[in-house]
Amino acid sequence: MRGNNEEKLDALFRAFAACPTPEPSANFMPVLWQKIEARQTFTFSFRRMANAFAAAAVALTVALSAYMYVPRANSSVPSQTYLDVLSDAHPLVAPELVSPARLEYDAGK
Amino acid sequence: MLVDFEVIKRAQAGDSAAFNEIVLAYRRKILGHISHLIARTEDVEDVAQEVFVRMYYSLDQLRAAEVFEPWLYTLTKNAAYDYLRKQKRRQEFRMSDLSEQQVTMADAAAGGKAEQDEQYYKKIRESVDALLGAVSEADRVLLMMKEVEGLSLKDLEKIYKVNENALKVRLFRARQRVLKAFGAAEKKQAESAG
Repeated sequence: MRGNNEEKLDALFRAFAACPTPEPSANFMPVLWQKIEARQTFTFSFRRMANAFAAAAVALTVALSAYMYVPRANSSVPSQTYLDVLSDAHPLVAPELVSPARLEYDAGK
Repeated sequence: MLVDFEVIKRAQAGDSAAFNEIVLAYRRKILGHISHLIARTEDVEDVAQEVFVRMYYSLDQLRAAEVFEPWLYTLTKNAAYDYLRKQKRRQEFRMSDLSEQQVTMADAAAGGKAEQDEQYYKKIRESVDALLGAVSEADRVLLMMKEVEGLSLKDLEKIYKVNENALKVRLFRARQRVLKAFGAAEKKQAESAG
């Protein structure tokens, strides 16, 4: 069974539904078009800005790629291997210690 | 449908005159829906314009004539919901105000049809607005669409793209909350009268 409050609430909703609809004002359409154009301008500006950022990012990527791949004349990268460089920098102090062993062989004995 | 699909197609192609035709055909209806969803007459036109701005920018997404009205209703529902959410001055549930307003409501329900002046409607709107403070903005919109706009569950299903049972549960809970608020206000009113 529906309570008393339920009926009263339904009555309130019915009364609310019966309230007259507000009439559109005389400048409804002009204001609407102003809003549409304002949003269009904003969207256009945003799109243009986004395109500019995208173009700048592409240009930067191309420039960096070119920079990385073009061989440079005065390259600071050594052409020798690490071991070569290391051996040049530290020549052997006592080569006899590491020179090939000579086998003393006396054929007369 | 208040306009032919041909008009919608022309509007989709960027014909401003066709767009104007759609707005002129639907604006009164949309104003009526919004006045029920937000219950504040001063902002109704603003929200209605927002609906048509959204329509302008998303008209190309519309694929078939038969879904135009539910689709427009979805835009209306979303715009009303966004408005209510942004509304930082959302009314708290004010018992004292409501009690006073409910007196007017009771008189109205008793049949004061002859006294339908602006003051009366204003009071009704304020009563409903205060009561709906008891539910979330989303539930408020849903409840108004069902209870005041008289949309069927099938219509709501199309708008919300949620199954009927889920909607029933939401509606039941929302109505119970509003009813509880209504009861509390009635009780307070009775205490102050007695």
